[in-house]
Amino acid sequence: MMTTTTTRVFDEWRDKSLDDALLECRDQVESPDFETVQRWRDAGGKVAGHFQVYFPEEIVHAAGMLPFKVRGAPLEPDHADSHFGSYLCSIIKTSMELALSGRVELDMFISHPICDAARNLAAIWDRNFDYPCQILYLPQNPNSSGSVEYLFREYDRMRRVTEEVAGCEITPSALANSIAVFNTNRQLLRELYEIKRETPWLIAAEDAYALVSLAGMMPREEHNELLATLLPKIRERTNKAEDRVRIVFEGGFCEQPPFDLVRMLGRTSYLVDDDLQIGLRWLTEDVSVDGDPLENLAEAYIEKSSYSAVQHDLRKPKETMLINRIRAARADAAILAAAKMCEPGLEEQVTYTHALDAEKIAYFVSEFEENMSSFDSLELQVETFVEHLLFA
Amino acid sequence: MKTLEDRQELVGRGNREGAALFRDWFAELEQTAQDGGQAAYVFVMGSTNEILKTFDIPVVFPEITSLQTAVRRMAHELLDEAEDYGYSPDICGYVKADVAVQLRGGKHPMGQLPTPSLSVVTNACNTYIKWGEIWERMYETPMFTIDVPGTRQAGTQSAPGSSDFEADRRYVETQLGELISLCEKITGTSFDIDKFREVLGHANTMSRCWNRVLELNAAQPSLFNAVTDGTIFLGVANAFRGTAEGARYFERLVEELEYKAANGIGQTIEEKYRLLFVGVPCYPIFRRFNELFSEWGGTFVNSTYLWFASGGTNRGYEYDLSDPIAGLAEGMLLSVRDAMDSMFHQDLAIADMAKDFNVDGVIYHPIKSCRTVSTGLADGRRQMTEDLGIPSLFIESDMMDRRVVSEAQMKNRIDAFFEGLVTRRQHAAAATRESQE
Amino acid sequence: MSYAAGVDVGSTQTKAVVIDEHRNIVGRSLLDTGANVVKAAESAFVAALAQGDIDEEEVEYVIGTGYGRYRVTFGNSQITEISCHGRGAVHLFPETRTVVDMGGQDTKAISVNADGEVTDFCMNDKCAAGTGRFLGAAAAALDIPIDQLGPVSLKSSKPIKITTTCTVFAESEVLAWIGKGKKIEDILWGVHKSIASRSAGLMRRVGIDSEITFSGGVSRNNGMVKALEERLEQPLNISEECHYMGAVGAALFALDHVEAGRAPAIKTPATMTTEARS
Repeated sequence: MMTTTTTRVFDEWRDKSLDDALLECRDQVESPDFETVQRWRDAGGKVAGHFQVYFPEEIVHAAGMLPFKVRGAPLEPDHADSHFGSYLCSIIKTSMELALSGRVELDMFISHPICDAARNLAAIWDRNFDYPCQILYLPQNPNSSGSVEYLFREYDRMRRVTEEVAGCEITPSALANSIAVFNTNRQLLRELYEIKRETPWLIAAEDAYALVSLAGMMPREEHNELLATLLPKIRERTNKAEDRVRIVFEGGFCEQPPFDLVRMLGRTSYLVDDDLQIGLRWLTEDVSVDGDPLENLAEAYIEKSSYSAVQHDLRKPKETMLINRIRAARADAAILAAAKMCEPGLEEQVTYTHALDAEKIAYFVSEFEENMSSFDSLELQVETFVEHLLFA
Repeated sequence: MKTLEDRQELVGRGNREGAALFRDWFAELEQTAQDGGQAAYVFVMGSTNEILKTFDIPVVFPEITSLQTAVRRMAHELLDEAEDYGYSPDICGYVKADVAVQLRGGKHPMGQLPTPSLSVVTNACNTYIKWGEIWERMYETPMFTIDVPGTRQAGTQSAPGSSDFEADRRYVETQLGELISLCEKITGTSFDIDKFREVLGHANTMSRCWNRVLELNAAQPSLFNAVTDGTIFLGVANAFRGTAEGARYFERLVEELEYKAANGIGQTIEEKYRLLFVGVPCYPIFRRFNELFSEWGGTFVNSTYLWFASGGTNRGYEYDLSDPIAGLAEGMLLSVRDAMDSMFHQDLAIADMAKDFNVDGVIYHPIKSCRTVSTGLADGRRQMTEDLGIPSLFIESDMMDRRVVSEAQMKNRIDAFFEGLVTRRQHAAAATRESQE
Repeated sequence: MSYAAGVDVGSTQTKAVVIDEHRNIVGRSLLDTGANVVKAAESAFVAALAQGDIDEEEVEYVIGTGYGRYRVTFGNSQITEISCHGRGAVHLFPETRTVVDMGGQDTKAISVNADGEVTDFCMNDKCAAGTGRFLGAAAAALDIPIDQLGPVSLKSSKPIKITTTCTVFAESEVLAWIGKGKKIEDILWGVHKSIASRSAGLMRRVGIDSEITFSGGVSRNNGMVKALEERLEQPLNISEECHYMGAVGAALFALDHVEAGRAPAIKTPATMTTEARS
């Protein structure tokens, strides 16, 4: 078996100035072609495509595969469109388009029971491709005493499926190694978010977003190197703090807002916290490398994870978690966003608005679609909103 | 031997008795509301009525109470109210209608609904979970979520006895135990395992009979309309699951249908085209929708709706009473998993039954409200056409929101579809004649 | 000589066609539907007869089609425009296997076999984004007459990408681009490409097989023809006759009835349609 952990797929940022390196990062993330994944393939590697929100990437990583976070794309679903009806979010169509158009080639595809469209996606994908297309049945009842044991068995099942696809055994030590790599990555992402929160003037919103999103489309070791190199340079920047409103963006856990929308928010405010691509930062603490790695991963999911509109947990009412997030980030307001046609997102918006009303926290409600190119009206509203906050 | 009087008594009895039971159910709920009694809000896929009936907790099925508001032509008011409250036009119409009913203090056209003292949801539909979260916030209703691990990939369903199945089953059983503890806490009574066995026994009868009812409709001509009559049967199957009345109803329904089958008594119209309905019915124009098909002699002989909306009990699984909680866990896992399969992988299920039922056409009816049912239908249709080549029609509307139901548009497509069926049949007849000459 | 006729009552225009027993078109007419649909159907029929110098009594069977098909009160029966377009397209272009019909109200994609029978169809009338309506909205925003849309768009060298999926917002998106100083022809070409893209998507649902026939009012827009041909990477069959395709198909179905009536021993009575509704 060819070892691919040392394969590099994204060199363009190396030996460049910080600004130029960040430009390369943005270009990679904005592109609908996901070249990094193709380069991995060209080097002989296999790819496990996993849909939103969270997937225990360590399992496929330990088999030498590239975990690729399927998060839609800024393109027209020309081939995929006829496989779907109406009243559906864009992300499931553009995700399938990536595969149908041949831009991204997978060796397996996994979806999760985050919502009804996503569960259907695995079945649709399965009918159209020959490789394993499955649902990883993450629990929506993490409050059950049986949930850790169940999830451990489900992860073990995923390990077996992965072994067949990868054609190799996934040993406990390989898993422990992968967990260590991902622990490092999660730590670096936490540091990035600390910069966003404490010194947001040092990094533009779209740059931070690009840095996070890259994690899902390149080998994690390489991403660790990227962050380890760039974060210190970002901290050394001499930009001055400006008097901008501090905003939290909530609603980017699945379908992603257009890159330009993030840019626009960055122009008008400081995006001090968000849930954009939160699956990549789902586990909030290091996962232990001692003991059974799959058990540790399962326990981490149940006990040490974040929150979203599509994860039900009696200990983590979403509105409480959001208010905590807003307070911890010392934000002035929240943007409560939902992707068009996103049932759980749209429903959560109502809960959020009522809760924030009760706490007298300012907010702004918005619907987006990954492919919208003109949001002048949104920008106008955000600017007015910002002005309102400043003069309130 | 059955006399003419017997025939008049039997034929249509299921519809009559079903309607009566429905009224009884709502009368009981209204009494509960007036007494301030406890009630559980549950759903058709994994209702756990088996446990709740053991505790004598009256159940509300908001999916059913919501669809009734559309059938009774008042859903649009409720949707408007829920949308004013903040819910998007694009989310599930059942949820919105229920929110509005709750905002109206439980006032429903069929009677007063009690507020939920408990809600039990499974992950068979992710919207159930969001719905439960709404009652949590409205009333602080304790919400119990049951994970029923579904099929991971079509064709890989784990079977009882395998370690994968057992892992899933054990998890369901643990959760059921936790539900029982919660019910004990809420009602202040202990779980009566003997009563539980009795309830399971009735549920077994109902499942066995339901399976038989659906099987009988392969008769030519078919005995009942899978969409219009089917909705009545589903009401009883869900609301009365595990009760003596429910068991009796279904035994008598089987008797009626066996009689009809033996005597060649079909539906009221002349059956020219046998159709399969895939999706959720168009409740805002419930009768008229069916007429658009029956006017052409089209009858619905089966429907995936009868499969998933009965929580998969159509497969006829019967619980093992010797180890009842373990048995319920196994049964629930198999049935609810099946229900999900009939929404996500219905192309396979159709392949299984199309020949036996002599299906002439498949009607796909995806709806705006329900991504669970609708997301996969376009591709499922594509696959079915590739595999079986049965003529099909794809018409989108909604099961609650009449704003997106256009009768004129639907009629245009339905007529074009039947024009195609007629032509096909004429050609087949001509080809037969030619080969005979 | 036997004659049969088809009357296609559309939302904006009504067309009538009379054919003889050899399937030749001997008379046809086109007029605006207007508010009185029944009258429009009658007038169109009378005008088609006049053109062919045929008496009404000579026409043995009339079929109504189009959205107003039940208002063809003098008709013998009705058939949907979907079936009629399929039949008419194959009559005009025998190698047709896919029809894309773009009218003022909706767009239809129809797949047909060699006999002109519909094997599948898909319509986009829930949303006007892939229809002539979208063009109309853009034309209004740009203040350009409808018949100039094609020629102006063809002058473009750099299309603007139009992403609005809603006709209601088409106007504001178009105006936004004008505000940014973009050329009208580039914006217009972008609109055409956007419609072509959505129509291609619709066609993919029924399967795209050669040859493709393009019919409906919008097929007279040469910009739309080019945009669609580029999108589909295939030439399209177009013809002036395409305007009458629905009426031609209806007339052919009517002729089937005439022929069936003539030889009852061989053919079963054609039960193609329901009775005329009052």
